[in-house]
Amino acid sequence: MADIKLTAATLSAVGDIDIAGNRIIIRDDLSLVSVATPLGGEDALKKTLTAAFGLNIPAATLSSTAKGMRAVSMAPDAMLLIFAHATPDAEMHVRAKLGGAGYTTDQTDSMLAIEVSGPATMAAMERICPLDLQHGSFGKNASGRTVMEHMAATIIALGDAHFLLLTASSSAKSFLHALEKSYRNVIS
Amino acid sequence: MSQPNRIAGGQIDDKHALSFRWNGRNLTGYAGDTLASALLANGIRLVGRSFKYHRPRGIFSSGSEEPNALVQLREGAAQEPNTRATMVELFDGLVATSQNHRGALEWDLLAINDLISPLLSAGFYYKTFMWPKAFWEKLYEPVIRSAAGLGRLSELADPDIYDHGFLHCDLLVIGAGPAGLTAARAAARAGCRVILADEDFRMGGRLNAETHAVADMPGAEWASATCAELASMPNVRMMPRTTIYGAFDHGIYGGIERKTDHLVDSAGKPRQVLWRIMSKRALLCAGATERSIAFANNDRPGVMLAGGVRSYVNRYGVAPGQQVAVFTNNSDGLRTAADLEAKGIAVSAVIDARKGDAVIDTSGRKGLRSLRLNDGRKISADCLAVSGGWSPNVNLTCHHRGRPVWNDGIMGFVPAGDLPPGLSVAGAANGTMTLASVIAEAHDAAKMIACDLGHARGAGKAPTSSDETYEASAIWHVGGSQARAWVDLQNDVTTKDIKQSMEEGFQAVEHVKRYTTLGMATDQGKTSNTLGIAIMAAASGNAIPDTGTTVYRPPYTPVSIGAFAGRSRGKDFRPFRLTPSHEWALANGADFVETGMWLRAQWFKRPGEAGWRDSVDREVAMTRASVGICDVTTLGKIDIQGRDAAEFLNRVYSNPFLKLPVGKVRYGLMLREDGIVYDDGTCARLAETHYVMTTTTANAGTVFRKLEFARQCLWPDLDVHLISTTDGWAQFAVAGPNSRALLSKVVDSMDLSNEAFPFMACSECRVFGGTPARLFRISFSGELAYEIAVPARYGHAMMGALMQVGEEFNAVPYGTEALGVMRIEKGHAAGNELNGQTTAHMLGLGGMVSRKKDSIGSKLSERPEMIRDDGLRLVGFRPVDRTQMLSAGAHFLEKGAPADMAHDQGWMTSVAYSPELGHSIGIGYLKRGGERFGETVRAYSPVRNQDIMVEICSPHHIDPEGERQRG
Repeated sequence: MADIKLTAATLSAVGDIDIAGNRIIIRDDLSLVSVATPLGGEDALKKTLTAAFGLNIPAATLSSTAKGMRAVSMAPDAMLLIFAHATPDAEMHVRAKLGGAGYTTDQTDSMLAIEVSGPATMAAMERICPLDLQHGSFGKNASGRTVMEHMAATIIALGDAHFLLLTASSSAKSFLHALEKSYRNVIS
Repeated sequence: MSQPNRIAGGQIDDKHALSFRWNGRNLTGYAGDTLASALLANGIRLVGRSFKYHRPRGIFSSGSEEPNALVQLREGAAQEPNTRATMVELFDGLVATSQNHRGALEWDLLAINDLISPLLSAGFYYKTFMWPKAFWEKLYEPVIRSAAGLGRLSELADPDIYDHGFLHCDLLVIGAGPAGLTAARAAARAGCRVILADEDFRMGGRLNAETHAVADMPGAEWASATCAELASMPNVRMMPRTTIYGAFDHGIYGGIERKTDHLVDSAGKPRQVLWRIMSKRALLCAGATERSIAFANNDRPGVMLAGGVRSYVNRYGVAPGQQVAVFTNNSDGLRTAADLEAKGIAVSAVIDARKGDAVIDTSGRKGLRSLRLNDGRKISADCLAVSGGWSPNVNLTCHHRGRPVWNDGIMGFVPAGDLPPGLSVAGAANGTMTLASVIAEAHDAAKMIACDLGHARGAGKAPTSSDETYEASAIWHVGGSQARAWVDLQNDVTTKDIKQSMEEGFQAVEHVKRYTTLGMATDQGKTSNTLGIAIMAAASGNAIPDTGTTVYRPPYTPVSIGAFAGRSRGKDFRPFRLTPSHEWALANGADFVETGMWLRAQWFKRPGEAGWRDSVDREVAMTRASVGICDVTTLGKIDIQGRDAAEFLNRVYSNPFLKLPVGKVRYGLMLREDGIVYDDGTCARLAETHYVMTTTTANAGTVFRKLEFARQCLWPDLDVHLISTTDGWAQFAVAGPNSRALLSKVVDSMDLSNEAFPFMACSECRVFGGTPARLFRISFSGELAYEIAVPARYGHAMMGALMQVGEEFNAVPYGTEALGVMRIEKGHAAGNELNGQTTAHMLGLGGMVSRKKDSIGSKLSERPEMIRDDGLRLVGFRPVDRTQMLSAGAHFLEKGAPADMAHDQGWMTSVAYSPELGHSIGIGYLKRGGERFGETVRAYSPVRNQDIMVEICSPHHIDPEGERQRG
């Protein structure tokens, strides 16, 4: 066995981006685990999820939170758990806790999480996000799946003008570029 | 510099002078001017030449309907042709030039066209210049094309940037005149989220141009006050300089916002933003456009629309002339005289067509000097204000194929009931022509919309206003002169052209449009369409409603191509997908190829290699000799879980999957519903209820979509769940006789012997002391080979580590070209072979379509034509003369057969040079191919001028028994 240890490489090397007081932060500390509901297993998953993590199954277009973990509705029978987890075994951790009540898939490496906030955020989002993000329509914890600049994305409202974006990791560089450009195009 | 025609008043800021250049002359205007108003203020009447006859033309209107005053704005790369001077907001440092003339504007050499106009009448290019025949392409057409057109492109890259965006609202109000402002205020007060958009930089519409009173104050002041109130409301977005150019599906409107067109420099920000505005409801308050009357020589500089004259006088503080005459067929035109006199401008005559008076001709070479009336009088005038009535701006109501209807009361077309869903119309756009009724109608419409949307707060009362009468009469064309009377100023279409079209059989309104070009180009006939239709009706003896209108389509006014493109230029043209080892590949000499959105290394150049073939040949040879490593992350990966996952796979693959054991991989063939091969790949069973499917790179998305459709719609009773993990795993093919030895130094505590981990085995494992991984023993190259996957975050490190461990084996990274060579050597099908026409039988995989079960496409794949014995089969080819190179796409012909489709035997799908065999090889489809090994046929490629003899052989050029991959 070669004396080699693999080290993880992420876009965090790019560093946080500050554009006139607006922040683009790469959240590579977050793990993402998809949980699918077995056919006929809705009640069991609901009970287990609450017992294991204190989470409710999120309603469509919403996310629920508890104990530092967020569950985002992704489809009628699928949600995404987002939580800070240091080692590459987030899926095993969730699987063990659910005990077969849901089908789990690690998505930490499939998607990049990006947090955006700042005074120009709403204007920047208007340039890239087709969804209506005004507070009355997309309040805190709202979530939506959409396409931004030809790239699939999920957007979650963390607060006023404060969002978590999830995008495919393979095109994350292009996504970051598009996001940054959106900010630069709207700041004065 | 003085502005000889500047008068007191208006809504310009005369404390803020602006310098600009026109045709090299330095001039001065004021903030609040348009280029048109500033030119008129400076006494400039001649601003361009007409499209075809190069006749002198001046400013005709004051808005977006302008057909004449098209100029080239800015200089160098930023130069923009065909810009309407009436829509250009004046800024300090503006540079503009006139267009469409040879030599000076005043002495245009191509004005000779006017003298030969009898040769250039409507449709002349269909019937003149036909002899001698050869002259058309070589002489006539080049000359005509050279002379045609209006402005010129700079032919330099546009230095400005553009952007797109998305907006949402309860109510989109289109137009901010009296109707729009009233409606926006009522809806906003009621609680609606309102977007108010107007193409002008100053909201208020005709209130800025007229002397009406609203709420006991001058209309322009009321407009300003209302704008201020709206701007202070958090639920209102004010969008001046924004044209709503199209009504699209589902309440979506296209808007073009001119962000920096009024600034000398964009400062790196988008010049224009193209908005997709998603509205629950929309209210069109776009007003109406005035039209002219056709009479002889009605196109001279100084002949203007009466409403435009009032705009220049009341809004811009500009006298369009020193001696102004008014010619009208309606009550509205008469107000022009009153407004002019109120400003102290001499009115030389008021000619009211309703009383039988008419202008029958004009004179003045480069600007109007006098008029001749039907009673023989000659009147001096340097400006003639013409009003032929107003045409409601119905364009957006027709963008879903609606057709407006004729209204005799206003002598114009008004919206019919077939509006785009969610769109209402109020004000002059709806044919409501007087101010008080416009305001009342808009207020009521907004209240009703707010109520419909559940906003019950009080909308307030509609403001009171002055009112006036509006009476129009059907006077369109004044005869009495042999000279030409112009209908469409932009396209030089005259009444004679329209009549000629009718006489020559082009009588339908759409035919007349195309034969004469009436209503085409940048103004889309805003001032000419109704007039033209009326003249058509008179010529045909039909009523105007029976004559009909052409179809109004987006855009309402011109939108620059740059705005449509948005930011999609250069690096922003489209996103790229990068594999986790991209940076490693970049640092190691990779040359990349675009495969869909992916960038894949196609080969890795080494010092001393002269071309790509050197690199590819080396990579193939070293892989087959020892071991090679290829990043295959781009293959689609779909995680499939559920109690019924096996049954699901058994239904989507044509070959059986129910009995695939855990720890095994199976090649799977997927058919379309019609039995044609859709995709192929492998599927690994990692656990009892857990599979990982791989797809081709190209079909990763479409296969996932097809599977989701099957899961959700065809078999919702199955417990099966899908999620893409393509991006989640960095996957590497490790191929070659030393691949096992290499991986033995990589994989933790796992027996990789052939007995413990045979061909088509799979397992979850760990690598390099603990990193989670998946290992598959599959081969695309035909060699002993594996694919190993690690979480994508470790992909970069994994590639480096594999190469480091592989040093003792002379491991080589290989790209997609070497991958392609090896799969052709092995006879594996790929995209070239799976082209949407391929059956399983053609691939030699007919036996994989199980008849013991039902699966997607299996039944239709049994149609006789698809399984005929004498059909096409995938076979291999090699040149009889081994020094010759094969060509992909070549068709097979029998020796001596003519090269036509009747004798076509099939085609070569893929070719490569085989370093192992030392000659060119190919695979392709050949009729009865499986029975013809050893025969020769011609490979004929007319596009490459190649016709060579090839020998038919097995598609498995190397190791046909598969001993290497099973070893």
